[in-house]
Amino acid sequence: MRIFGPNELKADVQDKGLCVGCGACVNLCPYFKNHQGKTVMLFPCTLEKGRCHAYCPKTEVDYTELSQARWKRPYDASPLGTHDGVVMARAGEGRVEGRVQAGGTVSALTAFALREGMIEEAVLTNREGLVPVPQMVGDETGIYGCATSKYTAAPTLSEVNRAAREGIRNVGVVATPCQATALALMRENPLDREDFVDPVSLVIGLFCTWALDTRKLIPFLESRVDVSRIQWMDIPPPPAEVFVLDLGNEEIQIPLDEIRALVPRGCLLCPDMTSEWADVSVGVLEGEPEWNTLIVRTEKGRALVDKAVEAGSIVVKEMPAANLEHLRTAALNKKKRAVARAREENLLNNTDEGERAAFRMDPSVVEELTGS
Amino acid sequence: MSHLLTDEPGSRILLMGNEAIARGALEAGVNVAAGYPGTPSSEIIETLSKVARDRGLYVEWSANEKVAMEVAAAASFAGLRSLCVMKQNGVNVGSDFLLHLGLTGTRGGMVLVPCDDPGALSSINEGESRQFARLLELPLLEPGDFQELKDMIVWAFQLSEEIRNLVFVRSVTRLSHASGNVVLGPLPGETRKARFKHRGFILDEMEGVVASMPMEYRHRRQQEKLKQAVERFESSPFNTYTGPEHPELVVITSSACHLYSREAIHLLGVEDRVGLLKLGTTFPLPPVFMEKHLGLTDRFLVVEEVIPFLEENVKILAQELAPRIGPKTIMGKRDGRLPTVGELNPDLVVEALASLVEVPYESAPEAYVKRGQELMFFGAPNRELTFCPGCPHRASFWSIHNALELDGRDGFVCGDIGCYTLAVLPTGFSTLKTLHAMGSGTGVASGFGKLGRFGMDQPVVSVCGDSTFFHAAMPALINAIHHGSDITMVVLDNSGTAMTGFQPHPGLDVDALGHKAPAISIEDVCRSLGAQVRVCDPFDLETTQATLLELLDRAGVKVLILRQICGLSPEKKRHKKYEVAVNPEVCLGEACGCNRLCTRIFRCPGLIWDKRAGKARVDEVLGTGCGVFASICAKGAIEKVENREVTG
Repeated sequence: MRIFGPNELKADVQDKGLCVGCGACVNLCPYFKNHQGKTVMLFPCTLEKGRCHAYCPKTEVDYTELSQARWKRPYDASPLGTHDGVVMARAGEGRVEGRVQAGGTVSALTAFALREGMIEEAVLTNREGLVPVPQMVGDETGIYGCATSKYTAAPTLSEVNRAAREGIRNVGVVATPCQATALALMRENPLDREDFVDPVSLVIGLFCTWALDTRKLIPFLESRVDVSRIQWMDIPPPPAEVFVLDLGNEEIQIPLDEIRALVPRGCLLCPDMTSEWADVSVGVLEGEPEWNTLIVRTEKGRALVDKAVEAGSIVVKEMPAANLEHLRTAALNKKKRAVARAREENLLNNTDEGERAAFRMDPSVVEELTGS
Repeated sequence: MSHLLTDEPGSRILLMGNEAIARGALEAGVNVAAGYPGTPSSEIIETLSKVARDRGLYVEWSANEKVAMEVAAAASFAGLRSLCVMKQNGVNVGSDFLLHLGLTGTRGGMVLVPCDDPGALSSINEGESRQFARLLELPLLEPGDFQELKDMIVWAFQLSEEIRNLVFVRSVTRLSHASGNVVLGPLPGETRKARFKHRGFILDEMEGVVASMPMEYRHRRQQEKLKQAVERFESSPFNTYTGPEHPELVVITSSACHLYSREAIHLLGVEDRVGLLKLGTTFPLPPVFMEKHLGLTDRFLVVEEVIPFLEENVKILAQELAPRIGPKTIMGKRDGRLPTVGELNPDLVVEALASLVEVPYESAPEAYVKRGQELMFFGAPNRELTFCPGCPHRASFWSIHNALELDGRDGFVCGDIGCYTLAVLPTGFSTLKTLHAMGSGTGVASGFGKLGRFGMDQPVVSVCGDSTFFHAAMPALINAIHHGSDITMVVLDNSGTAMTGFQPHPGLDVDALGHKAPAISIEDVCRSLGAQVRVCDPFDLETTQATLLELLDRAGVKVLILRQICGLSPEKKRHKKYEVAVNPEVCLGEACGCNRLCTRIFRCPGLIWDKRAGKARVDEVLGTGCGVFASICAKGAIEKVENREVTG
């Protein structure tokens, strides 16, 4: 990994509008802060190398190196990343409280991991109004308080950094792909710090095509509805093409094309739809609004899912082949779009002096993703 | 009893320039004095306020200079003698009133003392008040030493009553703030009785209406009065010539430059070749006196600060006199021999003069100058202007800066004159982006806050001090509210006119004489005008920042009052609210990810970087115990413990 300091981070990510506000650089030092979804650098810092830069999922991410470190195998263009199985899943009957998204698998798995002592705390994303805020919870009530999708880029990882600093360990994180990437970078202790301790013991990844910029979403919605009435938001799987707002007594649908203008530029450079660096990944399932797609990736993830099924916390069944194919196509398309865009913006595999890349992949992988 | 009341005519005492001015006013029997604080003028009103009770004076710190002029003028209209004092900028503030006053004239003697600051030693400009004398057609005197500072004030009061108009007496920093021996005159025994007579014929200058109408008549009268002043100037004891009967060159000078010129002539040893024409009555110049001295030789060097005011007036007169005295070569600033910015000093005058009299002179050996420059560049530590330890402004700007950065819409701060002006520099985290006159921050912000329709989406913040709020920020605030501008005005309320020495202002419950006075509440004023008002303690960084972020998000005019008394105030000095210390066990020094935020960015002089230990350390002598450090260190290494004996 090529690791630089806060000045390069600011120049390459913040100033270029590529920051998605994941929070990986926040709470490591007094300089980076997140306010209403936007990460800012308060003062200049002169460090030549910093964790802020090393953890950032939007600059100098070397997928080949990261894959070797995490999976002991090279990064290839396989659409769903390294995994050990894909199934349909939903929370077991009567196992979730209140409203959840799709099958409620994420909440159910998180609650189960907490109950079983696989994790002691869970770092989740709640919202205050329409502003996403990270929250660490230690009980099931807290988990369900954070349930449902936020759709806005959230500084969730700032809470992981805070936990690490305060000596909290054995933390589970529910992470979007960018956040799961940052967590994977973080867990490699890229600066070889002697005092490094990995506070994270489980990552439940979320599927994500893109997120929305909180600062843009709020005025966008304010101009259309009384935002205090919004109880729930949803983007149903294709071919729906709408953003749904549940206002309690009425439902409003906004065409996705209008919403796409609110996507941070950084999302367009993301090659990961299914949180490839997580222990398990969860997303919606086409045609089955009451179910989720569940990808198991690691031994820990496998153990969690098996135990949760055994305990009845979640229910799984085989994934229909057509659904799996659609998922693979969608995930591959995201990779192709990201690589094409990174190349177009001169942010891919740069080696020239003074030029830095958003990410790096083996040229053969790039060729595979950009070839016809 | 104050030494200023020494009633021993003929005795010689050491007085600061501003005290000499105050003594002059006392010897002239001044009744009323008003002013607005500003370096280098402040000690005049302060000195007079201390003897006010003994001498039966009324002295006030007015809300601003224009009001000070009006207050002093009222005393004059009622037949009293009045003095009005301010720094150079103040004359601009009051000039609107002066334009009318020149036409209406005065009754009791009225003297205006502007103290200019060439080189802007304590200012952010070096504007000249002398130009106003020409612009407003009023007589101008310029004392050249400490004795004259006193004597000219007495003389100016007499002149004012002779011509029934205002007289300017201009001082400068190097006179006001230096000290010298002054021979005292007598203090008058009687005081006057005030009565405003207004029932006389409209054109009766002593008993009629005080108004500038009919304009042409009044204007003509004003010019006649000025001519009358010139006649008195012809025999003024303050215009002197020293030097040979047939000089090769004459230096024409005034004010503090008179001292530099004398020194320059002496240093070059050309007393027998060069004459010195020292002028005390510089506008209008007395033509008969000038003709006599312009006739002494053909070459003249005019030495003055800052811009060529005297030089131009001499040139006009020389041109008019040319048919009788012949053409003259008048050198100075317009030909570049002397600089037109900054202060002069003996070296600069010597340099200009040496080439004219062809005397080689080296103010300092070249090698010495070179070595000095080297040492300055490589050897001297970089010392920037900084807020004092424990200054509430540092904490305020920390929060303003951070709130604007977090807000992330490229917001900025418009400011004006006060200690907080320093926020253009790193000590205020370079937060101030526009800087103009008193109250201008809010006025400029009011304008910026209306540019939304042109696509401007940056948050606009203004700052002003508590004294400035009353001085000139209120009309700007009213303008912003009336026009629906979107601004956040931050009043940095440190409870006094702190920069100039804690003079009271209308927001405090005491006046210049030390009497109890009704305090005007800034928050009540703002609320009643319709602003959304919040008050915070700037030392509470978290609340201040959160409040600012909340206000930045709202439309309309918001006022945040950040109230914390100045660290140098008599109430606060020597009282440490907290004992503050760095816990060396917790401070990781260079190993911390903070990159020395406390001493590299926050940079309060009360906290030092201990190079040997590689950690931060509180300077117990400089630290004021405000406790803010504890909120700066993210690691929690700076600990504070409340000092019970002080607060309890």
